[in-house]
Amino acid sequence: MIVAPPASYCPRHPARMLPTELPGAGEIVSFTTLHSPPEGFKSPLHIAIVELEGGARFVCHGAETRGLKIGSTVAIEAVNNVYYFSSLGALDRARIFWRRAGRAGDRVNSIAQSPMKRVWKGKDRAGL
Amino acid sequence: MRDVWISGAGMTAIGRRTEPLQSLMAEAALSALLMAERERPDAIVVAAMNPEEFVGDGNFASNVATHMGFAEVPTVRIETATSSGAAALYAGFAEVAAGLHRTVLVVGGEKMTHLATPRVSELIGRSIDPYERLYGATMPALAGLITRALMARNAVGLREIAQVAVKNHANAAKNPYAHYRQPITIEDVMTSRMVADPLRLLHCCPISDGGAAVVLTSDRIGVRIAGIGQGTDTLAVRHRQNLTSFRATQVAARVAFAMAGFGPERVDFAELHDAFTPFELIALEDIGLIPVGKASRATLDGETALDGRLPINPSGGLKARGHPLAATGLAQVVECVWQLLGRAEGRQLEGHTALAHSIGGLATNNWVTVLERL
Repeated sequence: MIVAPPASYCPRHPARMLPTELPGAGEIVSFTTLHSPPEGFKSPLHIAIVELEGGARFVCHGAETRGLKIGSTVAIEAVNNVYYFSSLGALDRARIFWRRAGRAGDRVNSIAQSPMKRVWKGKDRAGL
Repeated sequence: MRDVWISGAGMTAIGRRTEPLQSLMAEAALSALLMAERERPDAIVVAAMNPEEFVGDGNFASNVATHMGFAEVPTVRIETATSSGAAALYAGFAEVAAGLHRTVLVVGGEKMTHLATPRVSELIGRSIDPYERLYGATMPALAGLITRALMARNAVGLREIAQVAVKNHANAAKNPYAHYRQPITIEDVMTSRMVADPLRLLHCCPISDGGAAVVLTSDRIGVRIAGIGQGTDTLAVRHRQNLTSFRATQVAARVAFAMAGFGPERVDFAELHDAFTPFELIALEDIGLIPVGKASRATLDGETALDGRLPINPSGGLKARGHPLAATGLAQVVECVWQLLGRAEGRQLEGHTALAHSIGGLATNNWVTVLERL
């Protein structure tokens, strides 16, 4: 199991977690717009759960949810320690495809270099 | 293990109450003791989710016991967020089943309406994973995420989740203890204020005050607790692979039915945790009361209405009876006991077997209780 933010123990096993890195792109698991957010947040507040390639799920903010669907590919990036999602255009998706095919694109490199690299990976005690 | 019976069940009217929390809990406890024909229990279990913040009182087991004149009766307090009432029932069940006590009073309550709504939301929201809270996640926000995932996957639509609210308000209209007693229409639900897209105000339960209590005994009288089960899951919703069903409910149901020695097909009616109306549809399938993928259809077809094949939330549910947090898990059991013993005037159902389902936090600590009249 891969969790974010870094945790000392796996939530489902009493096993120590190890650090890992993931690319900053993934899929929308679900999203909502909160119209009466708690104190300290502006309405409307767009919140999404994003699953990165590799399985880690992030809670993120976004500028808008128009046109967003469950399964949409998005990039996530941290600004002042808060993760934001943004929709990827056709060109960005093509670059991700080419990176998978072995040819890294500019946008993906810049995502990979963003501060979101600090994701931690858990290992089952029995597993290793 | 001894058989455990519920010999008394009582509750306050749910809603906006002016009395102190201790008085609400005493009112519920005394009415349960009256029905059980007991003056004094051998032990007490108290359920309160957060009296420290809501009403500013701590050491709450002793506080409530002393208020009721039971300062010398051994008392403990149990807490599992919004399912605290059901958890307290479990603790009382264990005390009687183990033979530690012959008669145990279980009483739960919460008092919130004197505080401003944002403050109440913030206090309830503290049961959410701290990291998710940093992003402004509240209970309605997480329920909104779950509802959207449900609608994307399971052919659950806006009409179905509105119909749950319409049905439960119609039931509450017949329940003198309910918070909201006026019927509503699908139109009312679909045009109410948007809270956490796609959830609107009338998909969500109100903020309520109230108390509920039961008297447990090893004497063969009243309604038997045939099975009781707990299920748990990660505090963080993002750590769950599946958003559209709750592991905590599935496990709780499995454990409760294993103890009962029969399955969901025996259940005649149920009280389910509908803090947000889609949760009733999820619970129907997680517990196995309705086959997977069929809860929406069953609801639209009226199968879960008061006059349907499997009445769900005859009290009005959290949605319309109201949700005074730690009282809720017990209020569900009170309704089941009253129904089973023919004391639910105006909304009386036929049946021998009832089920109560309570969710703690965002389905991190859930309970299923199966009750049987012999």
